Amino acid sequence: MADPLLDVDDVHQSYGDEQVLEGITFEMERQDVKVLVGPSGSGKSTMLRCVNRLTDIDDGDIRLDGESVYDMDADDLRRQVGMVFQDFNLFAHLTAIENVTLGLKRVLGLSEREATEKAAWQLEQVGLREQANSYPAELSGGQKQRVGIARALAMDPKLMLFDEPTSALDPELIGEVLEVMRELADEGMTMLVVTHEMGFAKQAATDVLFLDDGKLVEQGPPEQLFENPENERTAAFLSRLTQLHGGQ
Amino acid sequence: MDPTQLVLQAELGDWEFVWRQRQFFVDGTVLAVKLTFFSILLGFVLGLPAGVVEAYGGTYSKGVVRPVGVVVRGTPILVIISLTYFAGGISPAFTAATIALGVRSAAYQSQIFRGAIESVESGQMEAARAVGLSKLDAIRHVVLPQALRRSVPGFQNEFTIVLKDTSIAYAIGVAELLKRSYDLFSIQTTAALEVFLAASLIYFVLTFSVNRGIERLHNYVAIPGGNH
Repeated sequence: MADPLLDVDDVHQSYGDEQVLEGITFEMERQDVKVLVGPSGSGKSTMLRCVNRLTDIDDGDIRLDGESVYDMDADDLRRQVGMVFQDFNLFAHLTAIENVTLGLKRVLGLSEREATEKAAWQLEQVGLREQANSYPAELSGGQKQRVGIARALAMDPKLMLFDEPTSALDPELIGEVLEVMRELADEGMTMLVVTHEMGFAKQAATDVLFLDDGKLVEQGPPEQLFENPENERTAAFLSRLTQLHGGQ
Repeated sequence: MDPTQLVLQAELGDWEFVWRQRQFFVDGTVLAVKLTFFSILLGFVLGLPAGVVEAYGGTYSKGVVRPVGVVVRGTPILVIISLTYFAGGISPAFTAATIALGVRSAAYQSQIFRGAIESVESGQMEAARAVGLSKLDAIRHVVLPQALRRSVPGFQNEFTIVLKDTSIAYAIGVAELLKRSYDLFSIQTTAALEVFLAASLIYFVLTFSVNRGIERLHNYVAIPGGNH
């Protein structure tokens, strides 16, 4: 059997004395969409950041396509793994299209023309053809996040990481971002998503992973976790979350 | 003769003296501007990398750059310029003055750039790295373009300070504005007020117009929709 695309194997991580992740293990096959949920401080964001080595782990291993990410050049790894941030982190001095072309030119070595063509296409995919020449400060939150998604997608990643992509958005702007993410899932992108949007989890996730206090408490298909959670904590957390963020 | 008229005539005479020597002032002004330009340039070439090192450098590179900056900033410019010229044996005096003013400016510019770099949100660097850019590319294409824009107000001060401090080059005999003013004053001692007023007026016009120019530049490079 082929290696899973992502193999997270007994990962431990700490900041100083504080244990953040205590032995997380899960796998992702190609086209899987896994949603990480859990209370704040449970280690979800840290888990994502370990995958593309924005944060280093203390123990365990993470393998992408069978190769340990620690055996790979960090820039090479990040080229294959797209990331979308809660606060967008768009390059403030560049237009929407320049945000997308920077990586294409500097990392993939595309020519100005190739990069511009690809970026224009990618922006069109997220519905922002008109905003290509706008600066981040001129865009709404939802538009910014869609540029963030386009910037990551343009690099043709094997895996996309989403770190609470809708948490900084006004409620009326969340839908447009989730829609782009749902389309992406339908197209077969492998996605690891930290989110509180339970509607998205129910519709798009192959699995939901419940993290609490640095441990993976329970994982399974959304129906199972929402309808018949094995663990009491999972049940309590998910029902509360569904009340708050059940829409979309 | 009415004594008040005599005084007036004498004063007119001193202003006339200044006017007659205008070419002398113009040459001094050109020298001061040249000195400022090359000093700021040297300060930029040394100060920008120093600022980057202070913001992003490792233990060793910081360990070298920081103390050097502290020492230079802690030394009076008159001492630096004397050391460069008399002890360092660098000549001509114009070159020595440029190096002294440039090195001191670098020590201050490094702090302007370090501060500006540190004011760029850490998410910018993170996003650049997440796309796969190397640290150097991320600094060059993402952090610095934003940091340089934010450093303009601080740079404006630095420019004014260096321009006025070119007068220190007088100490090693560079024929800039102040040196020339002293020369004229020693020829016509009654014209002290007029000569030094003329010099300070020139300094003021220069700093004022340069500052306005930099303000325009600041607005020109401002990021649309942004507040920096």
